[in-house]
Parts: sequence; C-alpha cells; structure tokens
Amino acid sequence: MNQNNQKDTANNKNGIYDVGIDKGASRLTPEKIRKVFDALVETEGGARLRAYTNACVHCGLCSDACHHFLSKDNDPRLSPAGKVKQTISRILNKKAKLDVDFVKQACETVFTECNLCRRCVIYCPFGIDVAYLMLFVRRGCHQLGVVPQYIQDTAHSHASTFNQMWVRDDEWIDTLQWQEEEARDEIPDLRIPIDKKGADIFYSLIGPEPKFRAQLIYQMAVIFHMAGADWTLPSAPGWDNSDMCMFTGDMEMTARLKKIHFEAAMDLKAKRIVMGECGHAFRSVYDVGNRTLGWKMPPLPMVHAIEFYAEIFREKRIEILEKFDRPVTLHDPCNIVRGRGLGDEARYVINETCSTFIELEPNREHNFCCGAGGGVINCGPPFKNKRVESNRVKADQLAAARDKGAEVLIAPCHNCHGGLEDVIHHYELGLELKFLGDIIYECMKKE
Amino acid sequence: MHELYKLASGIFVWIAILGFAAGMIGRLAHLALTARKKDPVVYQYFSLYYALRSMLHWIIPFASTGMRAHPVITIAAFVFHICLIVTPLFAAAHVILVMESWNVAWWHLPDPAADVMTVLVILGCLFFLIRRIAQEHVRYLSTAGDFVLIALVAAPFVTGFWTYHQWYGYETAGILHMLSGELMLLCLPFTRLFHMALWPFTRGYAGSEFGSLRHARDW
Amino acid sequence: MQSRHKTAARLARLALIALLFTVATVFAQGDITTVEDSGFEKRTRPVVAFEHDAHNQKAEIYDCAVCHHVYENGEKREGQMSVGMECSECHLSENSGPMELTRAYHRMCKTCHLEKNAGPVQCAQCHSRQNAPAK
Repeated sequence: MNQNNQKDTANNKNGIYDVGIDKGASRLTPEKIRKVFDALVETEGGARLRAYTNACVHCGLCSDACHHFLSKDNDPRLSPAGKVKQTISRILNKKAKLDVDFVKQACETVFTECNLCRRCVIYCPFGIDVAYLMLFVRRGCHQLGVVPQYIQDTAHSHASTFNQMWVRDDEWIDTLQWQEEEARDEIPDLRIPIDKKGADIFYSLIGPEPKFRAQLIYQMAVIFHMAGADWTLPSAPGWDNSDMCMFTGDMEMTARLKKIHFEAAMDLKAKRIVMGECGHAFRSVYDVGNRTLGWKMPPLPMVHAIEFYAEIFREKRIEILEKFDRPVTLHDPCNIVRGRGLGDEARYVINETCSTFIELEPNREHNFCCGAGGGVINCGPPFKNKRVESNRVKADQLAAARDKGAEVLIAPCHNCHGGLEDVIHHYELGLELKFLGDIIYECMKKE
Repeated sequence: MHELYKLASGIFVWIAILGFAAGMIGRLAHLALTARKKDPVVYQYFSLYYALRSMLHWIIPFASTGMRAHPVITIAAFVFHICLIVTPLFAAAHVILVMESWNVAWWHLPDPAADVMTVLVILGCLFFLIRRIAQEHVRYLSTAGDFVLIALVAAPFVTGFWTYHQWYGYETAGILHMLSGELMLLCLPFTRLFHMALWPFTRGYAGSEFGSLRHARDW
Repeated sequence: MQSRHKTAARLARLALIALLFTVATVFAQGDITTVEDSGFEKRTRPVVAFEHDAHNQKAEIYDCAVCHHVYENGEKREGQMSVGMECSECHLSENSGPMELTRAYHRMCKTCHLEKNAGPVQCAQCHSRQNAPAK
C-alpha cells in the first residue's frame, strides 16, 4: 500500500520509484542543483571534460555501439551521445535550468542506462570517453545526495566495513576457515593461509564471495594448492577488492578502499596481488585505484585470475584430467578485455580446459556488455526489469552462439554473471553459466 | 564593389587568419594548461606510439570496425573532409592570390578537379543535412548550431562554385565567397568546427589509454 | 594676354604629342583587343578582353610607361618605356614558371583598378567565359 503511494509520486521517465533518487532529489532546489554542478565543473572538470564535450559533432556513430540503444528499438535518448545530451550538456549550459526533475532523470540515466562499458569509445571517431562523462555526472549526483538506494547501501557498506556486503571481520575469518575445513575433506593437506608474511601471492576477492558464493573460495584454494602456489589472504579489512563507490561518484571512499587493499598486500609483504574473477574490481584496482591514489600504475604487480590461470597452464603447474566436453562460449567482460586486453589469455585457458569452443559474435573488444556492469545491477530490484529489457541484444548474441551448439557460457566476471543470469533466464536461453575457475576445478587433477 | 573587395581581400583576410591562428593556439594552449592542472593523468598516460597507432586506424578508410559497419558514412565523410581541406588550400585562384600578395606559391589543382571537389563538398553538406533530419537518432542529437555549421561550411563552396561558373550575379557571389570563407576560417576555433583541432588529442589520448594502460585496441 | 598665348601653345603642343602617340601606337601594335603573351604556353582561364586604346582613353592614360615600364636593379627608370616588348621578356625567368608572369599581369591591372576604384578586380570579371575559352 505504502509502496503504491510511492509509485504514484515517482517522477522518473520510466515510472520507477527509487527512494534514493526520488526522496534524495525532493530535498533539492534548482539553485542548489545549479550551484553543486557548477562547483563540480569548476573544481574537477578539466581538459578532458571540455575536449570531449566540444569535440562531439553529434554524428551519432556511437549509437549502435550501445546495447541500451539497440535493445530499446534504437531509442535516440539511449545512444551514448543522447545520454550526454540529456545530462552533462545541460549541466555545462549555464542557461539551462536544472530542476528536481532534471536531477531525477539525469540520475536514472547515468546510473541505470549506461554500464560504463566503453564500447562506444571504440566506435566514436574521436575516442570520446562517454564513461568518463557519465561518471562525472554520477559524481555530481553523489554530491547532491541523489543516488539509487541499493548501490548507495553498498557504498555505505564499503564506508563502514571496507567490504561491499556488510561482512563483519569475524564472519570473514569464519568463512575462510569453514571453506578450508570443507576443502580438507577433499584434499587433506589443503590450507587457506591467513596473514602469511612474504607470500608470493596476496589473493583478493569481492565481498559477495564470502557472503553468497563461498564455494568459489574453496575452488580457488584447490587451484592454488594444486598449482603449488605460495598464497595468503588477510584477516583484516583490505581483502575485498571491489568498489561500488567509484560507481556512485564517491571518489574519496574509492581512495580509502583502494589504499587499504594495496596496504593489506604490502603489510603482508606479498610479492604480487592475484584477483578473483571479477571485472569491476579489476577496473577499480588496476585502472581507477592507482589513478585515484596518484600512482600511474598499481604500486605492486597485480594480475586478474585469468592471467594467473594462463600462467599455471603455461608452466604446466596444473594438470587437466579430461577436457570439459560440453561446447562452451565466452563472454568477454568489458573491464578485463576492453579494460586490460585479456581476451587472448582467456581463450588460451579455455583451449587448455575445454574441448569445443564457439565464439560469440562480436567478441573481444567488441563484445556487448552484460548489462549489469558499471554498478547498474547494484541499483537493485527497482531497475531489474528495465536492465534485462535493455539487453535484448545480448540475448540475441547469446542465442546465436547457442544455435551454433554452445551449451555453457563462460563469464570470468562476477558482475557479468549477475547480468547474464538474468538475461538467460528472462529470454529463456537455456545456457549454463560458469566461471573459468569452475571449469578448471571440475577438470583438474586434484590429488 | 571595389571598396568591399578591398575589405574582403585586405583587412578581413588578416582578421580571419589572425583570429584563426590565435583561436587555435589559444584554445589548445588553454586545454593543455588545464590538463596540467586538472587532468595530469592525460600527460601520464599519453604515449606517442599508441596515439599514432590509434590515429592511423581512424585516418585510413575502413581501418576501424565502426567504419566498416557504416560504409556509406565512411565514404561520404572521407570524401567530404578531404575535399573540404584540399580544395581551398590548392585551388588555383587561391594560390595565385597568395602569389600576388606575398610572392609565394605552391602546387595548385587543375580547375576542373577543384570544380568537382567543390561539388563533392556541397553534396557532402547535403548528405549530412539529410542524415541529420532523416535519421531519428541523429536528429535527436542535433542542435540549431549543427545546422548553422553545415550552412557555414557550405557557403564558401556554393558561392565559389557560383562565381567560378560566372552565373548571374557572379560578382556579388565572388564577394560573398570571400566573406563567407573568411567567416568560416574565423569561426573554426570558436565553434564545433574546432573538432578538427581536437581530434588528434582526443583520439590520441583514447589510443594511449587503451594501448598503454588497457592493452586493448580502440578501433 | 601673355598667359593666354602660353596656354594655347601648351594645348597645341599636347595635342600634337597625343596625335603622334596615337599614330605611333597604331603603327606599332595594330588594334589590341585581348591580352596575349607568348610566355603563356597553356591558358587555364578564358582569355582577357582588353581594348587597349579604349581602355587608355577611358582611363586617361597617356604615358605608355605607366604600363610599359622599365625596371633596372629594382628601380623604375623614368622616361624609359618598354613598348613593343612582351611582358614575359622580363617577367618570365627560367626557374619560375608562368605563375610569375600571371602575377605580373594581375598586379599591373588589379593594383591600378583598386587604386582608381574602377575596372575589374575579380577573376571572372576579366577571365569572362564570353571570351575565347581556355586552351
């Protein structure tokens, strides 16, 4: 009943009520909105903001790079430049009135209609970084206190616990020990080493793993064990490499999060960081974190799980008993393929572990986003239907691979898993979704 | 007419050239300084190798995926831009005028070639105009300024074509040709035409970030 | 009285000079109606119509050296003229092509036209398509 009333007052273009957006915006006045955005442009808007917004000739060549645009029947408002026009262009136009409705709509646009996947950047003749522009507006929304509720809650979790899922320190250690115990049923001498000084590998993962997918910690422990890796995890905060704050525009928190993550590794004198199969976390540590903290590159070597897998296969530190025999296809996650060029490494690992591989078309840097990344899935249930409907093009792409015989979809990224699971379910694609680690664990020699 | 001609071939030329040069240098310098202050990351990640790699893939027709996906626009855009830049720089009449004033000369186009290229620029303007109106997603992005811009670019070519072919009123067209050409040159740094100067930097930076940091291709 | 005589004498002298001048040019050049110079091997624009006598009458040019000038070491020689010579004899050196000659013609005509606010200055005004075409 209360919910219904709330829905009536929802003012967004899609009629979706989100307390973070609607209530947040209702506290504002046009003067205040203008003041905050102007101050943001003044302090943080630099050459890139000007160059990108001035260079755009409104040619629309970015439009069909965007899965939102394509999936919603070429809705012109959803083309990357269309989203720029509705948001940052109005902000930069000093004469435009920025009222409460504007903030609501802009907030919904930048938080739920752009996955910051950067596919459009490689279709724009000017290489205009639309993700940067969208993040700039998100930063303004954050400063105005207008952020979708669910992702803001995640950001609050980061702020209070340094992890994404409100995992308490004792729960974390408890989970590790629980998984160690489980794994020792299978491999009696397996350890999950906590706070080991001077280990080769500092393994970091995302909050949802201990919270919902503890099995993944187990699997990774087995892979580390069989590969003879010298690895460790920290007992104190810093173990979570994820970061929703960089997606809400809370860059101060991002800096704290990345700092504690790097420091946890350095306190343990680890030689390098290996990250779990997560894309956004990789982006936050590898691309965003170092910049935010003032380093050109991360202060110590760090690799994504794919790189680690490729390494142990190349060095023959792990043995596959029998290759995975169902036909697989691969979803190239934005943040590690457009964001780190790991497409070939992923294919190498698949080649080592699977007997039949079917490419998605398009693939690698040109793959379509899962629709979940950039914090969009983290905006939660209010936007779920919209998110899935906005990725029909992904469903078509997956269906084409399925029709060629693919049964299993590999997505080496947590966010992608969330998004693709919804797409597969909604469009009844009948594909099974797996991490690379799932396949390796399933097919490797474990004794 | 003589007084107008004197203005258009005298002081206005200087205003246009100096305005163009000052605007270009001023705006680019301002961007470079702002980047130093607010986007130091640009200097950190900028890599000449990757910038050139990216630019190369976007300056050779059909070398990028996006260009292959839109062959008509690709051809239209390349023909339009090449003719737009080459024709005024190498039109025989322009070279002769420069030669008259400053006694420096360079290679010039045969008149029929310049004629055809002028037509191509005008057709290009029409193509972009129609595309702007006919394609819903481009129409949505279009502002009044975008249409003014097309007119601004088309004007010197239409009037040049007119006066070259000596149609009715060609003397007026000749004066308008000079004035509109000067106006376009002067507007270059201060309108969206500035994309010309920004391209190497936005493209180059995208290429640098993608190449040196992200180890990925951006074409 | 004295001064009136003087004026009449001066007028008579001028008339005589003008007559001689006209006769001399007619004998020397015949009727000039276009700008021709053997220095232009190839004409890229229509030929320029130029009624020599009518032009000079209208423009009130009686001194041949205004156009048919003679320069030595970069300085104009007063009292000397180059009537009977082609412009290309001076304005076409071996190492710089016909552009140099074009420049000389354009500067000769246009500079004066602009000074006097009279006569053609735009390309098409001289190189009219009604004249003999480019060859």
